Amino acid sequence: MNVDRSVLRQRAWTGLYSVAAVVVGLVISFAAIGLSGSPIGESIRQLFEGALGSSGQLAATVARMVPLVLVGLGWIVAARSAIFNIGLDGQIIVGGICATATALYVDAPTGVALVLAMAAGIVGGVLWAGIAAMLLARRHVNEIISTLMLSLIAVQILGWLLSGPLKDPSQTRSQTETLPSESFLPYLGNSDVLKWDLPLALLAVVMLSVVLSRSGFGFRMRLVSGNESAAHRAGVRTTRVRVQAFLISGSLAGLVGASLVLGSRTHTTAEGFYEGFGFDGIVVGLLARGSPWGTLPAAFLIAALHQGGGLMQAVLGVPSQLVLFTQGAVVVLVAISDPLTSRIRSRRADARDASGVPLAMGPAGTANVD
Amino acid sequence: MSREAEVPEPLFRLSGISKRFPGIWACRDASFEAFAGEIVGILGENGAGKSTLMNIATGLLRPDGGQIEFEGHPVTIRSPMDARRLGIGMVHQHFMLVPTMTVAENAAIGARPRRPPLSDVRRVAAHLREVSERYGFPIDPNARIEDLSVGARQRVEILRVLAQGAKLVILDEPTSVLTPQEWDDLSGILLALAAEGKGIILITHKFDELFAVADRCVVMRDGQTIGNVAMKDATKPALARMMVGRDLVLRVEPVHVDPGEPVLSVSDICLTDDTGRQLLDKINFEIREGEILGVAGVDGNGQDELVAVLSGLISATDGEIHFKGSPVPQFSPRDFVEMGAAVIPADRHGQGVVLDLSVEDNLMMSDFWTDAFSKRGWLRRAPIHDRTRRLISEFNIRTPNAAVLLRQLSGGNQQRVVLARELDRHPKLLIAAQPTRGLDVGAVEFVYERITQHKQCGGATLLISTELDEILSLADRVAVMVGGRVLQILDIHDADAERLGLLMAGGRSA
Repeated sequence: MNVDRSVLRQRAWTGLYSVAAVVVGLVISFAAIGLSGSPIGESIRQLFEGALGSSGQLAATVARMVPLVLVGLGWIVAARSAIFNIGLDGQIIVGGICATATALYVDAPTGVALVLAMAAGIVGGVLWAGIAAMLLARRHVNEIISTLMLSLIAVQILGWLLSGPLKDPSQTRSQTETLPSESFLPYLGNSDVLKWDLPLALLAVVMLSVVLSRSGFGFRMRLVSGNESAAHRAGVRTTRVRVQAFLISGSLAGLVGASLVLGSRTHTTAEGFYEGFGFDGIVVGLLARGSPWGTLPAAFLIAALHQGGGLMQAVLGVPSQLVLFTQGAVVVLVAISDPLTSRIRSRRADARDASGVPLAMGPAGTANVD
Repeated sequence: MSREAEVPEPLFRLSGISKRFPGIWACRDASFEAFAGEIVGILGENGAGKSTLMNIATGLLRPDGGQIEFEGHPVTIRSPMDARRLGIGMVHQHFMLVPTMTVAENAAIGARPRRPPLSDVRRVAAHLREVSERYGFPIDPNARIEDLSVGARQRVEILRVLAQGAKLVILDEPTSVLTPQEWDDLSGILLALAAEGKGIILITHKFDELFAVADRCVVMRDGQTIGNVAMKDATKPALARMMVGRDLVLRVEPVHVDPGEPVLSVSDICLTDDTGRQLLDKINFEIREGEILGVAGVDGNGQDELVAVLSGLISATDGEIHFKGSPVPQFSPRDFVEMGAAVIPADRHGQGVVLDLSVEDNLMMSDFWTDAFSKRGWLRRAPIHDRTRRLISEFNIRTPNAAVLLRQLSGGNQQRVVLARELDRHPKLLIAAQPTRGLDVGAVEFVYERITQHKQCGGATLLISTELDEILSLADRVAVMVGGRVLQILDIHDADAERLGLLMAGGRSA
């Protein structure tokens, strides 16, 4: 649809605020490093080196970024329908479990086995999000609480499966047997780091951005998040829209679960395979401010911090928890910049109202729509 | 009564109070006096500024301009605490009581204990008992709020205010939750309080209450205090006129259309809320093609509920609705739209538009899923753009372009967007609830034209309005709603402002 200049300007501003939040977050983090007695300049260099220093490092960063993009998209789909899917972790886990079970127990030729296992992962994510979606639609259960609790349940289910039914009896660790190679997620070209989930994630970004801006479903989501009662009045089935968005969000998380399991270096599913991606994905979604394309730089940033943080710790002994520190700072900064910007905006609008300047003029179009 | 003569100095005076919210003057140069020993009513419709004025008096809001005096001294009231310290107490419409706590515990909230942090509920209880006996409405301080009736809870609120030493007691719509018997008790208490020398302010939109207890009444409209009448000189129609009717600004040429087939018929519609209160009581009417049925009544007498039931937002607890001859037992807002009906909601920002979406988005909200504008789930941009352009010019929506956010249009233009969206579908039935609320004269005229045009094209209209003139100029028949019931349906030729005003005030018939 057409977008007005004022709207574009506003979007540019929110983008800038995200960048500013990141910069300030990094400054705070490095100040903390300095206070702890480590050399700031050298830390920055190692962080940078670790994330982007060589083509291998860069590839590792991108490989880490891919699941973050998908989870970030999952957050965005839900958030755009005013749903806070905090439990992406749990949906990743259940997706991973379903993919693992399918890979282990369903015999199929190469390719088919992979597709089946990926599909099973998606179904798992949808199922886990679906429980919370049903509770929301039927019983008005707050999804923040239900998804959070469902994540805890998923963690326990995973632990039980890996120490019981799915456990490799020959191992002492809680992990599965090696998955059959028919279901491995293949490497991309001749890379030995990047896998086929990269083009999948890019495709998801493109698809989601088109669906959000051009489809009836995307429009319904905008209506629901813009004013649910007006949307309801106008004939939009608002509950259905929110449930659908919730399920799509879960399917993306489930896909991530499957790709983590099927693309694992050890070719087994172990406890903690999901770790970090659910929460980091939310950070990505927040930083991207609801824009599918925005997940790419946001996920890249978070992945780079993780990747570079590893080297920084190895070389300088600076704890890699720095990454969490930075993320926390960024999330808080993004959160406060939202009400901050809207307050500035409304104050400006007030000033304009009071001065009696008309808000919009004739169709000729010389009006101020700042 | 000559209480005023005995106490010439006002207890409380607001002069020239103004308060502006974004886009609207909630109070504009409002002035008001209350005397000790006097019961003064503030009469006005919802949105007239009564509550804003009283929130200013109790420190919940700060005025943008104007002066407040208490007992002859200029004062600044920064918080409810300040108001309480001065001796201004407020009994809110929705009780501010913690249901699981006792009367005394509730009264102890906000009262400063003698030895903090220890609370002294026992001392408060004793004090409450003493105060309640003095004014002749005994209440057990150790009763739990949730065990008390609504009327008793209200007495607790009053008691709490008195125990805090209030000299001026403000009651916000105190009867909206009371039964007639409970009102009798309350009026007795109010008279007793006034006799003791307390100043009483009674915010209401019901005339009977004022005639029963008040000495004087101040009428508010559009944020301004427009009248100050001694009750002994007041008549219901005069008050109704002051409160509701602006003077005739607009008269639409009456258009007669021979009514066709019935479009909407409603029989014995009832609605009861969770607590068993009867919100709609056996509503019956029929609207035919080319006919406008007006629903007159003071705000809050069941109009919102009627609209909610008819547009599918909530289901009636009893009764039948027929649309074009066939019964529609259960329907959603979506069904309502697809039956070929449209609604202009009274709460424009809450239910009519999405402020943070564009004009175009708002124009396509209720039919973007139809084949004309969607193809296999994808929006068809060309037809949408064409229609948007056409509607902007047809409905004279003044906007720089279609991509501007709705928030940036004036109220009148926002309403034009709603009208354009709803009327372009050529609905069989239009429910227009307060369609001109808050609009300037030009926009009002436009709304009238469009509704008339809809009628000429054979559409049926249910016009719900608190503006008597609006109903008198547009409607073919008028139903008067009071307390969730339709008192009477009059032919427009038998209706005039005076007669409607009397009916609205609750008189059986005139």
